[in-house]
Amino acid sequence: MAAPSAHDVVVIGGGVTGAGVARDLALRGLSVLLLEKGDWGAGTSGSSSWMIHGGPRYLEFDWDTTRLSCIDAGHIVTIARNLVYRVVFILPVMPHDRNNIERIETGMEVYDRFQPLKHSRPHRRLTAEEARRVEPGLSPDIIGAVTNEEWGIDPHRLVFANVEDAMAHGARALNHTRVTELIRDGGKVIGVRYRGSDGATSEARARVVVNAAGPWVPEVSGMAGVTVELRPAKGIHIVYPYRISNFSIFAESVDGRDLLMVAHAGFTLLGTTDDDFYGDLDSIDVLEDEVDYLLQGFDRVFPAIRQYRPVRTTAGVRPTLFKWRRYEDELSRRYEVIDHASQGVEGFVTIAGGKLSMYRLMAEETSDAVCRKLGHEAPCTTATIPLPGNEADPEPPSELAARCGISALAAMKVQSRHGTNAAKVLGEGGTSRILCRCEPVTEAELVYAARREQVRTLADAFRRVGVAAGPCAGAACILRAAEVVGRELGWSATQKFDAAREFVRGAWLGRAPVLNHSGWAQEELAQGAMRGLMDIDGSR
Amino acid sequence: MARADSLARLAFAYGIHQARRLRPRRSQLAPLLDTYAADGIRAIEPDVRERHPHLVGCINCGLCALAAGRFGKTRLPDLASSYMRLYARLDEASSDLAGDGASAPDLAAAASVCPVGLPLDEVAAVVRRMMTR
Repeated sequence: MAAPSAHDVVVIGGGVTGAGVARDLALRGLSVLLLEKGDWGAGTSGSSSWMIHGGPRYLEFDWDTTRLSCIDAGHIVTIARNLVYRVVFILPVMPHDRNNIERIETGMEVYDRFQPLKHSRPHRRLTAEEARRVEPGLSPDIIGAVTNEEWGIDPHRLVFANVEDAMAHGARALNHTRVTELIRDGGKVIGVRYRGSDGATSEARARVVVNAAGPWVPEVSGMAGVTVELRPAKGIHIVYPYRISNFSIFAESVDGRDLLMVAHAGFTLLGTTDDDFYGDLDSIDVLEDEVDYLLQGFDRVFPAIRQYRPVRTTAGVRPTLFKWRRYEDELSRRYEVIDHASQGVEGFVTIAGGKLSMYRLMAEETSDAVCRKLGHEAPCTTATIPLPGNEADPEPPSELAARCGISALAAMKVQSRHGTNAAKVLGEGGTSRILCRCEPVTEAELVYAARREQVRTLADAFRRVGVAAGPCAGAACILRAAEVVGRELGWSATQKFDAAREFVRGAWLGRAPVLNHSGWAQEELAQGAMRGLMDIDGSR
Repeated sequence: MARADSLARLAFAYGIHQARRLRPRRSQLAPLLDTYAADGIRAIEPDVRERHPHLVGCINCGLCALAAGRFGKTRLPDLASSYMRLYARLDEASSDLAGDGASAPDLAAAASVCPVGLPLDEVAAVVRRMMTR
């Protein structure tokens, strides 16, 4: 084993909170090591609804959560301009809904007071006829509707932008690196032992270790001999590879919960469930019952929903703070920064709970606690310093497209992921070839991701550049992607096939619960092609 | 405590809302459309709505490109896949419709091999209509 590295802080967990903490501390001048057992944002962050929202729902429970969430959403929208886009909801009101339209509009009137904090616009009220005019797929039974504006965001890119900026300010960040043990000296945590992607075990010493492992927080805190109790809640989404509606739509589930159909730029997310989870956090299955539960909720307000072909599902577990005798939906999305010195364990801080929209604030408060412990006086600057690629206005996509020989849409997509760094990304590898036509993704961007964004698997490539995220679900591009990534990482021909095979199998697990008629047709075609090309059954 | 406080404040807001309702109200449809016009998203029109699920079923397999005699010119059927992404790629979609007579894509042949039964001629008609709007 090599000699241990030494850092001011080791952060465990490469979701949005851990990445945010690493960035915050690095910007304050501390030396940071960030460790993630899988890929950046591959857990709870990546399984979110892809939204930075203020949480009008929390107005029923806790206005402070809504206010703090809106303030921080405003900061995120400012520092990550290239990653965000407006998402406009229609809240149709049906007969026998839990809340009538006057109550709904009251909620939105209150929420309008918070909207300027996140640079969003106030609600509008529509008659049933007006609502159906702008959204013809709505049920003829609706009584009226109210609109509400939130922000959409690519959580995978948000996480990586934080990692990237942390590294730009001196942090070291390792994905596919699992912490196996906390090193202790009496009652103090003095570092971590970890196993890298190559299987080698290393040690890192740190003055403070931060546990930002999301739903895995109890597991990591257990290594330090302290207990942090969460009430993990599973949430799934159904993903459609196209827009289904003009606006995003709210619906009420059979048990009165709020459901969302979110119309993102080129795809639709339908979710989410919220159920206590007691299973294996590393193996979360989507059940057909959960899919039916969501479809039933939308069937009522958007009757055509069952005719559309989903492309996959996502599943994640929220790291909700523990509370007894509450329904899952009533649990607050509040968070808690815990200095375990009060439990006799020095040098160990946990951040638990919270939500994507408040990640920056959670990271700030965690970093404040760390700095207090270290006696380090430096203010937080993450609310104002832009994330990479947001330092200036991007050039018009058409100009970038003409210069790089790609379509304006492809240029726009690269800009949405890299902001003003798009030209640099497209200059990588000296090719303008489109690799994934569904999205579309350029080969140059994938080369860039493999060389500079820690892509180690095809699933990492999916998260970083969106390859295989479109309607073909990878059938048309995954082998080409394996070729490109493999070339960059020095894979053998066998490793390239194995990587593609692993991706296809993983994708299948997320797709199986939602396959309908045309879904099966696609599956047959894709599997047939894969079988022919690389013997996907494994008998090659 | 936070819950009770929140509900009390909402109740107060509800009272104010009910009082405001006594005033006449103008339609908010036009301001809504104005606000979001800049986003540039083309709406799904009521006449397309009913058929929409059938028009966006493309799985990007590429068989139609072969059948339509477009292989080598376009690797995959931009027409259907562009349409379904609503509607950012209409330029690409319309380029798939280019050509007259013998050089025009054989959409009937393309549709006949589609494994999910996508009505390509219908998609083409919608795209043509949208291009002229």
